[in-house]
Amino acid sequence: MNAPRPTSLLCELTYRCNLQCPYCYNPLDLESYRDELPTETWLRVVAEAAAMGILHVGLSGGEPTLRRDLPEIVAAASRAGLYTNLITQGTFLDDARLDTLLAAGLEHVQISVQAPTEALADQIAGTRVHANKERAIERVMRRNVALTLNCVLHRGNHDAIADVIAFAERHGIAKLELANVQFYGWAYRNRAALLPTREQIERALVVVAAARARLAGRMQIAYVLPDYFGDRPKACMNGWGQAFLTVTPDGRVLPCPAAAAIRTLHFERVQDRPLAGIWESSESFVTYRGTAWMPEPCRSCDRREIDWGGCRCQAFLLTGDAGATDPVCGLSPEHERVIAALGVDGGEPLIPRRMKQPV
Amino acid sequence: MTGTVVPRMSRGVRFHRDPDGSAMLLVPEGIVRLNDSAAATLELVDGRRTLTAIVDALCVRYAVPREDASRDVDDLIERLSRRGYVDR
Repeated sequence: MNAPRPTSLLCELTYRCNLQCPYCYNPLDLESYRDELPTETWLRVVAEAAAMGILHVGLSGGEPTLRRDLPEIVAAASRAGLYTNLITQGTFLDDARLDTLLAAGLEHVQISVQAPTEALADQIAGTRVHANKERAIERVMRRNVALTLNCVLHRGNHDAIADVIAFAERHGIAKLELANVQFYGWAYRNRAALLPTREQIERALVVVAAARARLAGRMQIAYVLPDYFGDRPKACMNGWGQAFLTVTPDGRVLPCPAAAAIRTLHFERVQDRPLAGIWESSESFVTYRGTAWMPEPCRSCDRREIDWGGCRCQAFLLTGDAGATDPVCGLSPEHERVIAALGVDGGEPLIPRRMKQPV
Repeated sequence: MTGTVVPRMSRGVRFHRDPDGSAMLLVPEGIVRLNDSAAATLELVDGRRTLTAIVDALCVRYAVPREDASRDVDDLIERLSRRGYVDR
């Protein structure tokens, strides 16, 4: 089949990070990504992306500001007409760095906080960073730059969302993303301890509805029900190989940021072949593109081109088969696996994200 | 909405038209595809034109009744403003 035109590229510039958030979706084998792409390769990737019709570039990681060449990459993307979005935890975003990035053409910044208060936030991050992040938020706001505040929600901070909203309000934030943790990488490893309870989610929905009404016209609040608690899967990446690609720090091209976990697929690298060729015809993109690969109940489902069978990575993690229906779907024959996970109490300790893979 | 309001793209939101003619908004979360009438309207949202001026321009360009154009523009700006893409 012909490949559709991609619209968005996520550049994961490095997996290095000074934080140790146990909910990180990065892969567990971080050490195998230490051989990072050189500047000139990233500049080529960005130029190729623009030539393919891609319009939107996310610069992420790990912590992307740990790459000294970040301003160069932003400038190249910006010159090519691409929308540039920096996804950062903010701890290195001092005045000089921020000004350099803005001069390079950066259009939007997303800063994440772990919690609304320093003690809890630093506990989750595994290091003292919250005060620094708060200063970074203030810096971005002072410069009148578009900013989204992001907070990943899990059992340990879900009940603090009213305070997260108040924190955002205090800083004049116009866009707040309350992002329920998704279970990939480190987060999947820590799932039993991170899964929120149904009661937490029900309380959150009430808090969010009230805040949205109160802050209408001032703050957009995104809160999406975690897919483990839904009945139909998320339209992951708007369909495999339909619109999105991710390039990892070492040059692997993935149809989804979590896809490296799928051991049954081979992912080609930007060092070996132009991005367009990988998008159009590499095994990893072609295998689950469209609907021909679908098993029942997806194949005859009237939502097959709405949710695209859900998430391939989640199907692989939960069933061992990336070609299975996403088990979060109530129609999946493996849906019991999700229900079983929800029943787990989760007393296990959280494993902090570190460069060294846990045993 | 009163006609003297001057709508503008919110910070971090950019109108884009492809060489093939299709139009979209580039926003922090990604891309919002626009139909022809939304694109024609948003192309006129430049932070200088008032709502009245936008409606005037659309009426001339597409020979549509003023009442219809005005209602459509109000409706679009209202929806996009609720999603944080347009300030007014």
